[in-house]
Amino acid sequence: MANNMTSTQPTVSPFLEPGLRTKPRSLAILQLSRDNLLPIYLQEPSGEHDGYAEGAVVNTRYGSFPHSTMLNVPWGSQIRASKVDTGSRGRKRKRGPKDEASRDDAAEENQPETTTDNNNKDASEATGVKQAVADDSGFIHVLPPTPELWTQSLPHRTQVVYTPDYSYILHRIRARPGSTIIEAGAGSGSFTHASVRAVYNGYPSSAENKKGKVFSFEYHEERFHKMKKELTDHDLDGLVHLTHRDVYNGGFLIDGKSPGADAIFLDLPKPWEALPHLSRSRPTFGAKEGEDTTAEWVSPLNPKRAVHICTFSPCIEQVTRTVSAMRRLGWVDIDMVEIANRKLHTIRDRVGLHYQTDRGVNVSPHDVEEALERLAEIEERVREQAARPRDAEDADTDMKNGDDAAAKKEEDKEQPPYQTPWIDGRLITKGEPEIKTHTSYLVFAVLPREWTEEDEAAAFAKYPCGKEKAVVGSIDKQTRKKERREQLQKIGDRKARRKERDAKIAEAVE
Amino acid sequence: MHHSVIKPNSWVALKLPSGVTRVIQVTPNTSISLGKYGTFPANLILERPYYLTFEVQDKLPEESFSRLRVVPPSELYADVFAEEDAECANPAAGPGSNNDAVIATAEDEEFKLVDAESGNVIARSTQEVIDENARQKLTQAEIEELKRDGTNAGKDVIAKLLLSHAALDQKTSFSLSKYKLLKTKKYIRRFQVLPIDVPTFSNWQLEERDASKILDIRAEMMGLVGCWGNVHYGGEDVFLEDPKATTEQGEEALAPLQEDLLAGRWLVVDDTGGLLVAAMAERMGVLYKEDDESEEAAEEEDTTEKAEEETEQKQESEMTSQKDIDMTDGQQQESTSETTLARHPKRPRDNKPRDSDFAVPFSQTNTITVLHGASQPNLSFLNYWNFDVTAPQHPPHPLLNHLLTLSWLQLLKPELDTSYSTPPLTADPETLSTWKPSRRGNFHRKRRRYAKVRHIVDSTRAGNFSGLVCASTMDPISILKHALPLLAGGAPVAIYSPSLEPLATLADCFSVARRTAWNSGLVPETQGKTAEELEKWEGSEQFPLNPTLLLGTSIQTSRARRWQVLPGRTHPLMTERGGADGFIFTGWRAKPAEGKIAAKGKFKRRKVEESVSTPASA
Repeated sequence: MANNMTSTQPTVSPFLEPGLRTKPRSLAILQLSRDNLLPIYLQEPSGEHDGYAEGAVVNTRYGSFPHSTMLNVPWGSQIRASKVDTGSRGRKRKRGPKDEASRDDAAEENQPETTTDNNNKDASEATGVKQAVADDSGFIHVLPPTPELWTQSLPHRTQVVYTPDYSYILHRIRARPGSTIIEAGAGSGSFTHASVRAVYNGYPSSAENKKGKVFSFEYHEERFHKMKKELTDHDLDGLVHLTHRDVYNGGFLIDGKSPGADAIFLDLPKPWEALPHLSRSRPTFGAKEGEDTTAEWVSPLNPKRAVHICTFSPCIEQVTRTVSAMRRLGWVDIDMVEIANRKLHTIRDRVGLHYQTDRGVNVSPHDVEEALERLAEIEERVREQAARPRDAEDADTDMKNGDDAAAKKEEDKEQPPYQTPWIDGRLITKGEPEIKTHTSYLVFAVLPREWTEEDEAAAFAKYPCGKEKAVVGSIDKQTRKKERREQLQKIGDRKARRKERDAKIAEAVE
Repeated sequence: MHHSVIKPNSWVALKLPSGVTRVIQVTPNTSISLGKYGTFPANLILERPYYLTFEVQDKLPEESFSRLRVVPPSELYADVFAEEDAECANPAAGPGSNNDAVIATAEDEEFKLVDAESGNVIARSTQEVIDENARQKLTQAEIEELKRDGTNAGKDVIAKLLLSHAALDQKTSFSLSKYKLLKTKKYIRRFQVLPIDVPTFSNWQLEERDASKILDIRAEMMGLVGCWGNVHYGGEDVFLEDPKATTEQGEEALAPLQEDLLAGRWLVVDDTGGLLVAAMAERMGVLYKEDDESEEAAEEEDTTEKAEEETEQKQESEMTSQKDIDMTDGQQQESTSETTLARHPKRPRDNKPRDSDFAVPFSQTNTITVLHGASQPNLSFLNYWNFDVTAPQHPPHPLLNHLLTLSWLQLLKPELDTSYSTPPLTADPETLSTWKPSRRGNFHRKRRRYAKVRHIVDSTRAGNFSGLVCASTMDPISILKHALPLLAGGAPVAIYSPSLEPLATLADCFSVARRTAWNSGLVPETQGKTAEELEKWEGSEQFPLNPTLLLGTSIQTSRARRWQVLPGRTHPLMTERGGADGFIFTGWRAKPAEGKIAAKGKFKRRKVEESVSTPASA
């Protein structure tokens, strides 16, 4: 099996096993600055691309980055910007020999510093793509894609389910390697990516080989097509089954067969319309008019396990109706929560008179002593001023005093503690400027598996009652003491037996 | 397919009407006592599905035990349905107004008595505040008697209590339902069986046991840590070929480390007694045993007895090691140090001859490496998933091949660790055969331990971990100092702390000011150091960590607010657990470019020559 696997196995998604280095065709997330992320598909340089001699290039306000500098480097690498000719694209420009020479010099100078250039030198020589030349400033980082980074950088098509919500949801609906999940309302795909990671336990090698899978439904045609392409680009085709359907009317079966779901996530405007389709047997509640009730009912749920559900609705009215429908359909442990997430920034709070005026610095006394000192200083100066007789002679000394004061001030500035802004001031935390106070209400519920009289009879036959030896759980003090005594007795017996046996073995050896 | 039905000897959580959770092991042929809620045979819940609500029924005259009845959801929600139906029938009356809702409730099976004896109206809309104790006409002694003799799973008691309440007809429908709920919680003999999985277990530990033992980690935070740590299934198992070491060979016979095979490995520092490891194992698919017919038979044995018999088992193992020697003798000629890649989904145990002493039992992928501060890791909570990290002879469990533990000493100063640095014992087969079984057993055990420790330490020190997850009482800066170099580029870091301050100090180590100063060569100590040396930065007073090794550092916290959803009475719960909020710190491991690097952008130079350029890129 190990041998033929290499030929049939699909490329593993960079979301699941990114490997240690960046690869061509792979999705990569460029971190331009703290919260500025840019997803790109890395391309192998193959001649001029879009007018760039270096092949495909990413242009940002932090510089230009030819893909060749980001290929086959360790994930997380800091990438230097390159000197890319962005102005003369499309124009044929004759370069003077002088120009060429100076460029080569620059390249040589920079090479020992940029390992990335070395890596790609051979490749670029072969394809005739221009060697990227490192710029003096500017850099970005190249990160492997994860659902968290993707959620922050994906193209928005609908409201996105963010990490604080989906992490909690997946934890509570017991999405685990090997589970099957139904997701309705694929939307922008953030939940899809997170749930694939949760259920992933390998790609199925054949149709019979059941592995963790996400069955995703989207009724909006344009969104469906965009999503479909995205899944292919991310090598997730074998793990996500995307269907274009209105689940209110169409239900959740795939070609009339049950996906066998263990967990369900509904991000729909009317979850109660979809819920009747998610029953174990034909529901009496919420049946659609004109429905064919004679056909055999196929449940999309896993018949062997309790099924967990979560619905995601922004309005309380939706919640009320959803919960009401869930009760009628036999769901238990219904629980509604709302997630509030806060991000915190750490900053150095600098307050003090000794600071120079700068952004983020509060030039006011940082404690009573400092305030006192300055007030006393001012008072003294005022007193001096008042005591001084107003004539020409003293004007000089006044000037002199002023100079002294200025010199003293200069002196202070000579060693301002501001030289080390990273340890100055008090470390404090602050919330973000804007917080998300409400995303959606999450309704959780469980549907136990069906249990018939026959099942019960079979289980009772397998485990008959009436031969109970001990009591587990809350037992009174006396029984507990008695049990403890018996236990100790047992251990004592065993020790004696062991001693006996050891003696026997010793005899035998001798 | 775990958690389909309740398996013998598995741990389960019993949810009682009072909201209390009892965690017990379901041993066949025992009785389970729920205190005032009754006693029933454990066999009655074995092989039954989880999440059903059972009712402890009255003993039949000819039987010695109480049978259970599955309560259908229609009965669980009878009150709400009655209210909803009433509202539908009379939509003009708003929620909570005087309507027939409660009478409808009375028609339910639970309230037959109410119907028969009290006639029609038992509720009236009024704003009067009713003191429950003052209005209850039954005395405590009478209630006790009722409880003792009461039948019908406690429903009689509740009905009688309601009936004998003097002011029942003065209650609003809301306060009546509240009163009924209160009494139901106290007397109804019902319970629900939940599987012990990470969410259920941590909830129980948090709400009812000692929350500080798991560092107050709430479900929200557990979810965040798992996601930001990118913890997931790390690929199909890969095992190193058995080097078939003979008893004479020493160190050279160890299976050489193959770094390119290592993948999907997570590094953990866990001071939650093993809960974090369990959560990660759950996400990686190595926490639960797969249901298997053959395993069921093995589970029949009493596990509590097993623990006590550990010492006896050790002797058994000595017996088996006798067999071992014979086998290795036969294979001696074939023994080679060549290792080839062996891929198989399940490790064959019984049908293949036993592995030699130096065989590496661990998978090279999809593993959890636990770093611990004490000489032994504290992973006692894993016992609830039938895994005992201290058991020498362990029944099959997926964690056996996927959980690696080592101490900080073994990681940082392995030469000081006895089990790592003491060369393995050797002995020729003739000498061995003259030894006592116990001595021989010890000999093999020590050699096996040596090979294990060597592999764990060497593979951990090889680095390239896929992520770091932490919930520790230790200073996170000191953890990162040693753990950061072990991470692969782009690997995520997720550190949980019950309080904010340690994480704030940590985040400050990666502040923009520090990074800029570092990048522009303002830190004299970094001069002349290679990138590799800087990765293993020992830390200085001003720069405890190399600030360029982590990207996008951030701190966050989450809190779930629970709501009550009832017709006309939907609102957030009035009280919730307080205490530690819990925060997580996240970031990604960066591979900084060598040499000075400046951000793009216009920035004015400061007047003071040595001062730092303005942070531009971030």
